[in-house]
Amino acid sequence: MTPSTTPMLEVRDLALRFGSVTAFEDLTFDVGRGELFAVIGPNGAGKTSLFNVLSRAYVPTAGSVRFDGADLLRLRVSALAGAGVARTFQNLGLFGELTVLENVLIGRHHLMRSGTLRSGLWLGYARREERRHRAAAMEALEFAGIGRHAHVPTGTLPFGIQKRVEIARALAMEPKLMLLDEPVAGMSVAEREEITALVRRLHHERDLTLLLVEHDMGMVMRIAQRVLVLDFGRIIAIGTPAEVQRDERVIRAYLGEELEPALAEAPR
Amino acid sequence: MSMHTSHRRRFGVTSAGLLGLAVLAIVLPFGLNAGQLTTATFVLIAAIGALGLNVLTGYTGQISLGHAFFLAVGAYTAGVLGGNDHLTALIWLPAAGVVAALCGALVGPTALRLRGLYLAIVTIGLVFIGQHIWFNVPAISGGPGGRSFPAVAFGPFDFSAGQQLTIGGLVIDHNGLYYYLALIILAAAMLFVWNLVRGRPGRAMQAVRDREIAAAIMGVDLARTKMSAFVISSFLTGVSGALYASYLSFATPGQWSVLLSVQYVAAIIVGGIGTVWGALLGSIVIFALPAVLQSLIPQSSSGGLPIDDLTSIAYGVLIIVFFVLEPHGIVGLGRRVASLWSRIGLRPGKGGGLSQEAQSIENRSEATWAG
Ligand SMILES: Nc1ncnc2c1ncn2[C@@H]1O[C@H](COP(=O)(O)OP(=O)(O)OP(=O)(O)O)[C@@H](O)[C@H]1O
Ligand SMILES: [Mg+2]
Repeated sequence: MTPSTTPMLEVRDLALRFGSVTAFEDLTFDVGRGELFAVIGPNGAGKTSLFNVLSRAYVPTAGSVRFDGADLLRLRVSALAGAGVARTFQNLGLFGELTVLENVLIGRHHLMRSGTLRSGLWLGYARREERRHRAAAMEALEFAGIGRHAHVPTGTLPFGIQKRVEIARALAMEPKLMLLDEPVAGMSVAEREEITALVRRLHHERDLTLLLVEHDMGMVMRIAQRVLVLDFGRIIAIGTPAEVQRDERVIRAYLGEELEPALAEAPR
Repeated sequence: MSMHTSHRRRFGVTSAGLLGLAVLAIVLPFGLNAGQLTTATFVLIAAIGALGLNVLTGYTGQISLGHAFFLAVGAYTAGVLGGNDHLTALIWLPAAGVVAALCGALVGPTALRLRGLYLAIVTIGLVFIGQHIWFNVPAISGGPGGRSFPAVAFGPFDFSAGQQLTIGGLVIDHNGLYYYLALIILAAAMLFVWNLVRGRPGRAMQAVRDREIAAAIMGVDLARTKMSAFVISSFLTGVSGALYASYLSFATPGQWSVLLSVQYVAAIIVGGIGTVWGALLGSIVIFALPAVLQSLIPQSSSGGLPIDDLTSIAYGVLIIVFFVLEPHGIVGLGRRVASLWSRIGLRPGKGGGLSQEAQSIENRSEATWAG
């Protein structure tokens, strides 16, 4: 097995181009085990694109990614969940017609085995497996504080609740690494506080490595252990929240916006 | 909690409803004349195929207009094994499903490359290729003039025209026998699909339908999921096709046209895309329509449109009306009525609060902006 000293994520010279558009290039950084690591940067800096490469939705133009010591770029998209990577989506990746509980159960698809025949004939194995995983999915929903919405069709819920469903689903996947893309975007101040607390609890209680993309600097500076700053697809700073806030290039990238807590109301 | 009692009550209502429906389905043939019973039997047979289409298109989101092809494959498997080789229905009926499923497995991979309308067009191609084969290989299809198909027979139980079964004074004729066989197969298929869509494989299908990439990132194997949708769908369709041809006892290659596919698409749209009951309800509307129109419109009104044209117009109107007004078909209408009902029944003050369905309807207007 890999020694526990290898970083959870090793990104080397990673680049992604769409024709002439460069989403990002020359990205090299490590994320340690159990770290809460934030990726920030202005709109269009390449943060979501980075997540898309890390979740194998996009194939990078160059570079390598090692996850838990193994080559991440050799995995098929659908094998990623099994390998231990979960993510949430900036603009929601929920299945609108399914209930909240069913959405979270999809997160446990890779942990389940019942196929067409066992499920269709509703054999004992499928029944027991379903019961077990429903309980686990409910637990994830309770953790995210949305247990009472379990049986509601997801597409009918308000945006803020749907964002929590995404977090619950990612948690239910039992990952080692969780990628959170703007979990508090479009939320009220009170909701932001709740989600911030939820992410903290995820980090402390669930033995997770967290990669957090967020425009809410207040949140990032409070909970991140290290911050990577992207601008126009390049790393302009990496370090502790305190170091990054003092960085000249970071201040310039944010164009005079003050890098105090409460800076940057997320621009969406 | 009140949620539990309301769940339990709903369960009670559902069981009672199912039981009532089962009784109705069993006694129905005794209340129908021969013509009506024939129509009812065709409806049940078609509903098996419509259920197959709903697995593929309704639950998995793979639009297919190739249904006529899979129906024909099932029919000709029955024709060849039962008619040419004189094998029993115990063999040719399942074999019709299996051979159609194999064809589905061959076509499945194209769905990995093509989506939406492109897949629809390719599956139309399948119908044309099929027709070319049916017209030109008489050993299978009897050539342009058509062929006869074997009646169902399980050992001494013969379903041929003129045969009948007497159970304790009740006489079940040829039509009745086909009716009950179709009813049993349909009920089993509905139960299977019901279990499936509430379990792991069916959830994966619906996830693929709603958001393919997100589903893959959650660990759903797209190839496998689409493939099993194709296989299950074409199995049911093949069985349906075999029963259909056997009940007709004679069919020509021209019958397996794109129009037949369109009827099935219309059935699931009208009944309810992505619902188990929608397949049956839609089949009742679509496949009983010609007979109903025929009986409503007097023979003498020869100045008007022929029944076939009237039927086509009615299909068109139904598809448009349901697409625009109720995308979940008759089942969706039923759900609306039910949630309205529970909203009236559970007014705050009567101690209940809104039911979850009612709440979700409330939230619907709020949620639209979230996409
Ligand atoms: N599929 C795509 N095709 C072409 N260009 C793309 C694609 N996806 C992203 N880009 C481009 O890559 C760049 C980075 O986009 P990305 O979505 O990663 O930014 P972001 O940092 O997540 O921004 P935001 O804070 O607004 O979410 C942008 O210029 C964007 O237009
Ligand atoms: Mg983004």
